Parts: sequence; C-alpha cells; structure tokens
Amino acid sequence: MKNVKAIVAGVTLAIVTALPAAAQEDPIVIGVASGQTGVLGPWDLAGRRGAELAIEDINAKGGLLGRPLSIVVSDTKSDPSLGPTAAAEVLDQGAEMVIVACDYDFAAPAAMATVAANKIVFSTCAADPKFGVQGIGPLAYTMSLASTAQGTMLAEWAYETQGWRSAYVMMDTAIEYTKSLCQGFRKRWTELAGAEAISGEDTWNGINDTSIAGQISRMKPAMDKSDFVMWCGFTNNGSVLRQVRSAGIDTPIVGSEAMDGAYWTDAVPGLNDFYVAVYASIYGNDPDERVNEFMARYQEKFGEHAPMGHAVTGYAAVEAWARAVEKAGSLEVEEIQAALDSFNNEPLLVGPSTFRPDLHIDLTRPLLIMRAVNGKYEPIGRFAPQKPAEPTF
Amino acid sequence: MDLLVQFIIDAVSVGGLYALTAIGIGLIFGVVGLVNFAYGDFVMIGAYTILLTIGFYWPVTILIAAIVLIMVALAADFVAFRPVRLASPETLMIVSFALSYTIQYSYVMMFGSLARTVNFLPAMSTNLEILGIRIAGVSILQIVATIVLTGALAAFIRFTRIGYQMRAVSENPTMARLVGVDINKVIAAAFIASALLAVTVSVLFVAQTGTMTPFLGLNLTIIGFVATVIGGMGSLVGCALGGFLVGFLTTLLQLALPADLQPFREAFVFGAVVLMLLLRPGGLIMLATARERI
Repeated sequence: MKNVKAIVAGVTLAIVTALPAAAQEDPIVIGVASGQTGVLGPWDLAGRRGAELAIEDINAKGGLLGRPLSIVVSDTKSDPSLGPTAAAEVLDQGAEMVIVACDYDFAAPAAMATVAANKIVFSTCAADPKFGVQGIGPLAYTMSLASTAQGTMLAEWAYETQGWRSAYVMMDTAIEYTKSLCQGFRKRWTELAGAEAISGEDTWNGINDTSIAGQISRMKPAMDKSDFVMWCGFTNNGSVLRQVRSAGIDTPIVGSEAMDGAYWTDAVPGLNDFYVAVYASIYGNDPDERVNEFMARYQEKFGEHAPMGHAVTGYAAVEAWARAVEKAGSLEVEEIQAALDSFNNEPLLVGPSTFRPDLHIDLTRPLLIMRAVNGKYEPIGRFAPQKPAEPTF
Repeated sequence: MDLLVQFIIDAVSVGGLYALTAIGIGLIFGVVGLVNFAYGDFVMIGAYTILLTIGFYWPVTILIAAIVLIMVALAADFVAFRPVRLASPETLMIVSFALSYTIQYSYVMMFGSLARTVNFLPAMSTNLEILGIRIAGVSILQIVATIVLTGALAAFIRFTRIGYQMRAVSENPTMARLVGVDINKVIAAAFIASALLAVTVSVLFVAQTGTMTPFLGLNLTIIGFVATVIGGMGSLVGCALGGFLVGFLTTLLQLALPADLQPFREAFVFGAVVLMLLLRPGGLIMLATARERI
C-alpha cells in the first residue's frame, strides 16, 4: 500500500513539476484503475504510459480549461475483484475521469464503480461493444475498434486487396473476443465471397491446449484449396503458430490486434506470410509520422519499446476526453458525454474516431495491416471496415 | 485407415506431456501422500531456466535446468512441506497452493506476465511424414520419454534400496520409521526424481511450444492431476495411461463435437472423466494400498 501511494505521489509530482508556468491552478486529476501488474500488465501499463504522454502534451500546451492535468494510478493487479477498490482509490483522490483495463471482463468492475460515482470511464482497448451504454452504462467509452468490425475489415482486405477467395478459419474458444472477431469475419467474408468460400473451420483452446496436433492434421489437407487462414487467436500465438509452421503449412495467416507485438515471434523462426491488423506500429515504421514520434517518446521516457500498438489507445483515451472537455467548456459530466457522443471521425492519435449516443465503441476506424517477413514486421497500409455489422446485445 | 492411425498419433501427441506431468505428480503422491499443486510451477521454472541459458550448448542448458529444478524441489520440500509433514493432507494441499502462487507471482515480478519465447531445439519440432502419417519429432520424444521414464522409475522403485524404502514409506510411514528408514532422505529422493521428470516436461514443452508464461504450470497441473486420478492415484503406469487418456478424449471431442459445442469441449472432457470415475472409482489401475485407504 505504501508503495502504491509512493508511486501515485511520484507520478503526480513528476507530471505536475513538468508543467509550464502558465498552468499553476489545481490540477485536473485523471485516474488509472487497471492492471499495472499481472496478466494484463503489459497492455494496461502501456495504456497508462500512453495516457501519461497525452497528459504531458496537453500540459505543454497550457493544460485543460487553463488547468494542468495530473494522473493518479491504482493497480488492480489484473484482478477484476480489486477493480472497485482501485476505482474508489483514484476517485477519492479527485479523479474526474478514470481509465480502466484493456478487456471487458477485467475492466467492468472498476468501470461500474466509476459510473456509479457519476464520472466518465474509458477502457483503453476493450473490443467488446458491451463496454459502453449497454454493458456498463452511458458514461462508459472504449477506444477500441469493435471486435466484429475488426473481423469485417480483415475479410474486406483479404477479398478486395489481396484477391483471396477461399479462407480456412481457426478460432480460439477460450475468450469472447476471438469468437466475435471470427463472427464478424465469417459474416462479411461469406457476403463477399459466398458461403462456399470457407474451405474449413476448426477451433482450439488457447489457454488449455499445448498441442494442436489434431487440428493440424485436418488443416493440412485443406490448405490446397485455401488462399489463407483467418486466425482468430489472442494468446499462446507463438506456441500454436510454431506448430503450424513446423508442420509445413506455409499458407498466409491473418490475425488481429490481439496478436500484435514482437514478443512471441521468436517461437516461430523466420515467421513469414503472417499478416496482422494493429492500432499502431511499434517498430518506428508506421506510415503515420505522429505514431512514430509517439513510439520514440515512449521509448525515451520509459526506457523500453512499447510492447504493442495498444499504447496509443491509452493516449487516445486522454486525448478524446480532453477534446470533449474543451468542446463542453466545463467538467460537467453530461456536457462532456454529449460532446463525446457527437464525435464523428474525430482525429485522434489512434485514428478518426466516432461515437454515437447508443454506441460508445468505434465501428469504422482504420487499423494498420503489417506483414511479417522473416520475423520482421513491415507496414502495408491502413484499412477501415466498409460495412461493419451493427453489434447485437 | 490412415485417418485412424493419424488420429491415434495426434491423440498420443496431445497426451504425451500430460502423461509425463501426471507421473511426476503421481510419484510424489505415492510416496509422500502430497498432492503437489506447485508441480507445474517446477516445470515453469525449468522453462524459464532454458530461456535464460539458451546461449549454451543444449545439453548444458538441460543440465543447468535439471540442477536448478533439483535445488528448487529440495528447497520446496525443506522450506514448505517438511514443517507440515505431520499435518493433514488438506493442510499439505493448501501449502502446495500457497507455494504455487508464490512461485508464479515471483516469476511475474521477475519476467512480467507477457509470454516469453525461445527457439529451443528447433530440429525437434520438425514434422516427419511416414507413409502419409504425420508426426512431430517432439511428439515421438514425448512418447519415448514417457515409456522410458515410467519404466526406469518403476525399476528404481522396485529394485533399488532407496526405492524399496520409498515403497515402505508409501505403505506405512510410521512402521518404516520404526524399522530405521530415514524418511526425510526417502522423501528428498522422491522430490529429486520428480524434479528430473519436471525438467523433462520443461524441455519437451519448450521444444514443442517455444513459449512460456509464469502461469504455464497451472493448466498442466490440473490436467496432470486429473490424469493421476483417472489413472489410479499412486500407480505410475496408471498416471501415464491417465495422461494419454485425457489427450485421447480431448482429440476425439475436438474432432467429434459440432462447431457450436466446441467452445465447451473441456466440459465434455471432464464430464467423461467423472463418468469414468463413477464406473471405476479407483482409477484405471487401482493399487492395493489405495484400496485400503478408501
């Protein structure tokens, strides 16, 4: 507890003392109640650091409503049951807005507690559309592109840009994200290429399965009639893709932002023909120079690369909220909410973002598709979903 | 026919690691009566040791991992289990849970929770095709290791002096002590043997998956424990068979379940385990000593 307080005090002090002389009023506090350590640590720590960089930028321009921004952090240790306590801790320290975890299940308890205190809550990258009006409440927003829309975009990209006509679908059944990703893909793919354009489907459990020998035996003969494999996976990617490539399956594989990051690629020596849709490139080769500058600053400030592109969603959460506060001209929650709901392709670091009063997750923002060539990622370009399905609740 | 043979090979490939894990858990249970939930974490420590020593020639890496795991297993016995050796089995189990969490979160602290990857023994993960039947090199090793280690352990327990003492401790610890068996020495030997089994699992796991997280032991332990129960608690051959049976059930259900039910595959696997235990409560191979305990 002492440590947590010391970290909170340290971060607050560091940010407030870095302010220009113009902003000397009481700071507006932004709270972070997410898993700085534990399972979700890499995503949530990157998001929180992204938020810190956004706060620095806003403060460098004179702050928000003439006041500096500061940040307080409470670690949920990636334990959802600690979420309400963590949220209460940052709210007690005056948080006007709270940033929560990068996953619906992990974020929901802290988000509920924030909404109950009548404050706006942002998830950095929960991709489940339930993170919003329907699942948490009207004050909840997420900076993710909806999981189904990610599937839609990958189907459109594979069909239109790559000219592929036959897909083999592999789905991890361990979490909801991968199921809705595949659902979005399947729907759009069969609309575009026809019901016969799925050459085969199989599943595995990313948490439980150490070997996918059976799936590989079924997949291998189907590769002759498959242009690519749609890979709805989120974890254990190194393990399963190592087994796939070791079995001599060289068919192109397409994955989503949940497979972003270079941390798993050592398991698959010379990874080739792997395509992944990410929020931002962490390798300094993003077509958007603003992203490259962000990644360079991240490395300079924190002494390490951002582990995955999700870091920009933390930046964007603060950016979006601050933009809405400016539009509202006050810290009145209802006015900020109305301003956020009016976002229509609002230019943010994460990309043009749109919210609606009934939908607090974006459906049409582009993602960057990258290709692995000998284990190194090269950007291909940003692609937006053209016809995403409306989420169903 | 080819499909059937391929299916059996795949099932055995899935079950190989489970079988090896189950033998390690079963060995400690058989000798000490301890359900060691930290066993999978020993495997995890072995995996991270491989990660840290990957620059060495591979036999050196394996040797270092074995030494580290033997020390960890002995330390676990000395620090965590020996002080509560006379306590109830429930207490021992809770201690093993506590040890498991301590190890896991120490590793999260040191290495973070993100998966770490390493290309260890890549030649082993290459697939072989024999008469149209595909099998990964590492799967062959898992099967061979399971057979060889089960046999070696059985021989060790049956024919060596310390093995003889292990059987005595397993059947009646009080009487064994009365006739002069040094229980601490026997239990330490069992922990060393289980550490050697754990390092085998670590090597084969890392060669197969190339991936590790501090939580990798959790699932291995649960499935390994289920395998020991359906195999027959305390019987090494039963444990190995149990591991292969879980692999067989998993592969069969993955193939047979309709798409809508595949997300619930584990419910069917463990449902089948419950059913099997109802029909054969003592497990596949029921030992006389186990029957007496029941």
